[in-house]
Amino acid sequence: MALNYDDIEVGDKMPVYTSAPITRTHLVRYAGASGDFNPLHHDQTFVKTIGMKNVIAHGMLIMGIAGEAVTSWIENKYLRKINARFLSMTEPVDLDDIENTKNRATIIVSGEVVKKFEENGEKRIQCDIIAQDALGSKKLSGFFIAALP
Amino acid sequence: MADLSKLDMEFPAYTFTIEKDKVIEFAIAVSQKENKEQINPIYYDEEVARKAGYRGIPVPPTFPTCSFFWTGGGLIGTVKALGIDLSRLLHREEEYEYLGNIYVGDVITRKMKVIDMSKKVSRNKVVEVTILETELINQLGELVLKNHTKLMEIGT
Repeated sequence: MALNYDDIEVGDKMPVYTSAPITRTHLVRYAGASGDFNPLHHDQTFVKTIGMKNVIAHGMLIMGIAGEAVTSWIENKYLRKINARFLSMTEPVDLDDIENTKNRATIIVSGEVVKKFEENGEKRIQCDIIAQDALGSKKLSGFFIAALP
Repeated sequence: MADLSKLDMEFPAYTFTIEKDKVIEFAIAVSQKENKEQINPIYYDEEVARKAGYRGIPVPPTFPTCSFFWTGGGLIGTVKALGIDLSRLLHREEEYEYLGNIYVGDVITRKMKVIDMSKKVSRNKVVEVTILETELINQLGELVLKNHTKLMEIGT
């Protein structure tokens, strides 16, 4: 799928990307892959000491999922910038109560092209992005800039 | 409390190699897959990557975050050096500016410094902000990535 600058208009939507419900296993896998061993993300006994009920997902895992969403649409090599502000925490799905907890752990990434411009001799687009859970709670907002052929 | 005297502090430069299996592991983690056959082949098959216009196997967009955790005692060591209380730490914002490309096999030097530290009162709580700027430079001396990380501590 070759996407060209001329194919994209301001107001165009990025294809919506829906994650799998995030499990504690996903958190452990991300911890190992990234090296982020903050116990907040895997150790139930640690989170109790700071008054929290559950471990939470790494903000950078949510941004990583957003990066996956973006590069499912725009090839990695065209990315020039990606920015994310973290807005709320994400609790993983409880496997003993999937029905009631899967929505809080499912991340939906959407986006809209807000600008087309030339910079550094390249034709670039800016696309605002939002990641929210399936209950509508916003997890991050930000944008990416890509240079397109 | 973040130690405000650490403003402008530069962390020791750190050099690491982009390892193929770590890139695959990371790509599996952010795409929530179980094995490499399920991920985008540009992250494990050099021929596919080259045909897609890459000089080698590229890294996922947020892979450079690893450089923060692989040196200086990882997260715990880094926040200690800044005087940040881990139990009150929030990751507020992250930005990557891609000035070049990073490929498997590259030898990357990381430079990181504290570019802003501030303290303010918001809703009767002390909020402290630390902004880190990271530069990744490849073996050819090219600045391939600039990264800003905003950390926040919320007081009680």
